[in-house]
Amino acid sequence: MTSSQYLARRAFLARVGILGAAVGAGGLLPRAALAQPGNPLDDVVALLRPVLAKLATDTMNGLVVFVCPGPDEYSKAQGTPRGDPGALEADAARFLTEALDNFVPFPDELARPVTAALTTGLADAGIELPGLDALPNEVATLDKALGSLLRNDATIPLSLLIAGLLNLVATTVNPAAVNGPFVSPFARLSFDEKARAFEVIETPLASLVSTLDVQLPQPLSESVSGLLKFVGGALLEFAAFGSYGEYAVFDRETKQLTGRPVGWQLTGYQPDGPVEGWDEFIGYYQDRTEVQD
Amino acid sequence: MRDVIVIGAGGGGPVVAKELAAKGLDVLLLEAGPRHENPREQWTSFEDDANNPLTGYFRLGPTDRSRPAWFREWSQNSFVWQLSGVGGTTQHFYGNYPRAYPGVFNDYSGADAGEYDKAHRFPFGYGEMVPYFEWVETTAPVMTAAMGRKEERFFRGCETLDLPVQTTKTTRGPSYRPQENAILQPGGTAGRTSDRNLLNYPQATGCTFCGYCFQGCMRPVGGPRNQYAKRSTDNSYVPMALTANVWATEGRAATLIADAYVTQVHAENRAGKLTATGVTWRENASGTEHREDAKVVVMAGGCTENPRLWLNSGLPNPNGWVGRGYTDHFFDWVFGVFDESVGNPKGVGSAARLDFPPYGGLENVGLPPALHAFAMNLSDSGIRGQYANGRGMTGEWDGPAGRVLGPELKDMVSGGLENILSVLVITDDDVEADNRVTRSALPADENGPIPKVHFRARQRTARTLRNREFMARKATELLRGAGAREVYRIDWAPLILHVQSSMRMGESEKDSVVDATGQSRAVRGLYIADNSALANGLGSPNPTLTTQALATRTAERIFQEHFGGLPWVRTESPVVSTDPRVSTRLAELGL
Repeated sequence: MTSSQYLARRAFLARVGILGAAVGAGGLLPRAALAQPGNPLDDVVALLRPVLAKLATDTMNGLVVFVCPGPDEYSKAQGTPRGDPGALEADAARFLTEALDNFVPFPDELARPVTAALTTGLADAGIELPGLDALPNEVATLDKALGSLLRNDATIPLSLLIAGLLNLVATTVNPAAVNGPFVSPFARLSFDEKARAFEVIETPLASLVSTLDVQLPQPLSESVSGLLKFVGGALLEFAAFGSYGEYAVFDRETKQLTGRPVGWQLTGYQPDGPVEGWDEFIGYYQDRTEVQD
Repeated sequence: MRDVIVIGAGGGGPVVAKELAAKGLDVLLLEAGPRHENPREQWTSFEDDANNPLTGYFRLGPTDRSRPAWFREWSQNSFVWQLSGVGGTTQHFYGNYPRAYPGVFNDYSGADAGEYDKAHRFPFGYGEMVPYFEWVETTAPVMTAAMGRKEERFFRGCETLDLPVQTTKTTRGPSYRPQENAILQPGGTAGRTSDRNLLNYPQATGCTFCGYCFQGCMRPVGGPRNQYAKRSTDNSYVPMALTANVWATEGRAATLIADAYVTQVHAENRAGKLTATGVTWRENASGTEHREDAKVVVMAGGCTENPRLWLNSGLPNPNGWVGRGYTDHFFDWVFGVFDESVGNPKGVGSAARLDFPPYGGLENVGLPPALHAFAMNLSDSGIRGQYANGRGMTGEWDGPAGRVLGPELKDMVSGGLENILSVLVITDDDVEADNRVTRSALPADENGPIPKVHFRARQRTARTLRNREFMARKATELLRGAGAREVYRIDWAPLILHVQSSMRMGESEKDSVVDATGQSRAVRGLYIADNSALANGLGSPNPTLTTQALATRTAERIFQEHFGGLPWVRTESPVVSTDPRVSTRLAELGL
């Protein structure tokens, strides 16, 4: 790897959030693990796995509060704190992660090139990343560990791929998001910046597709912009459904609720819980109960 | 060998199964998804449990909910709301049974005849269809809908629009009315109390106004399956098909197999004509394959799955129209916020409508919280106040069209979901060759190459686009007239929920898959009998009644053409699906 490739690779890892999550200020990977040349790669890989999970979770937290803000730190960071409960109280980030990772049968033929892009992607030189220098320099070991993990793990969680996409776009919208609180660049954006990120995703410019550097085989390559449009919409729709649904308090065993869902609290729905019916019948329009030709 | 194999137990397939079982034929009904034979144990009425498209009991997937849903490719921002399972999408539908507009049939000569999609009409006249409408209306049965407060409020808006009230089954011009719907009307205590102890069958009969249409109808409590209020086919036609031996003189009970995915329709040359011979299906749980032969095969898997099965079976597609001409009523969503409760989402999901041929229609829709939030976030116009994605139409509604999310959504619902009246804009959309199903280039699943649904949302015909704008404005007028404080327009991305005409019946062999009898042009003995066989989008009325009327007509044609029988719809009287003989037999069968 040449020096400029190395810098571009480092910038890419910073932008998808992995560099910061692993070794940034508050990073989750012990610096020593990367710094000691003799440390076996497997150890780093084992340490990296929870870091990536945390990165995905953190990104999802930043996403769901965009749709339904609440009294949490993420909502505060995006500039829309609320007193009433929101997406995190509704467990919508876990809802979204579980749905993405376990129930969307994301085809391997798509996951593999996206994973390859994550493993080898280089950030384009056009974007200045302020504070990149503040991030530590131990990219080589981290990168090897990441490559090993992505190549060898049987299933790459879709939530991690989505998180990488959101973070990459987040650093396009605001390059300063490579540093800051949380571990996800997307979670560091303001409400307006998050909206701008979705604008970029929904208007899949050639530049975004090339930034992703996903080399899909023909004829799949034509599907990329369509998939991005779909993913952009679906993330918001699912975040909304999860935030206002019963997921957090539904006991699958008993099929009962263990508490009042956030969505019900926010909307005043069913103040006394589930019903068998309502006294809502008020008659027939113009007293007509039957029509005929 | 069976007489008839029907593929798909959704809105259309069970109609053919029931009608032909009543004539004594040996009918096998195959359903890819689950059979919810005991909804009181299998369902809950909670939104996430029911309607999560990936994990809910109403999803497109196998019975085993720990396994992933079936992945389909949508190459645009859209949502194709497919359901597997006995009942298909009628499991979550709102039971609306309006008739197709007369203007979409080939004998129409009204003053506005030139305003419809004239190139894609039904290959026969409206009068030909009326006896079949009537047959289904009696069977379901279809009744005039009762009012709750959300309907009362909808009508208050309609009354400001200078339109007449429609008091006929047939829609002759712009007008408004209660829905004609396949919901058993409230009887006894139903609709008159919220006390659950007083809402058991038969003290309560028909619709209890629970507001759970979209989560599946299993009320009133304790009622037989065929007495549940909403007439999904799993409550109406399927019970009749399974009990045909007790209510039809010559009847023979149909056989139903669920969790059985049909992967192949077989055909061979017989007397110089390609002829359907049977099907292969796969058990979802075990992967075991079965093959069975039949004199007639009926495809009824829906607008997205029928083209897939056709193409995966290697059947001929000489004019290229398999999968083409998909119509979806290009929905939009306009809603008003009121200063007081308008009763949302209690009662039947949608019990009032406005028709405006040849532009389209409107109906009120009650939505519980998660579905409401979902509906606010499905847009082709970006996010209100942030970006418009190249659209963001402005009009008499407040601000630009677009998603309502974040603090704005919370503020909107903070006054209570009860204060929101939602209006579905149902566009009379043209049949277009490029709105279609193809086979995806993405990897196949266990049942073969998957379908890809392609809609050119922004490049539809000028008439379709005009109609949608016209009806969105009309919805806004209605809501203003009803007293809404604020009116929002979402500009929905395609929500593919009313689906029609992807295997269409047509006048010309150049742009249709089936002929005027419902038989495919390319394969003898292979029929299409669900909404994919409709010639067009009906002018905008909800498709179930017309689908079932057409399926009834197709069943008659099958009986005449392949079994030497006589037609019956004009000479016999239909048995209503609530018939007590059906209830008794269901109890004996443990259903």
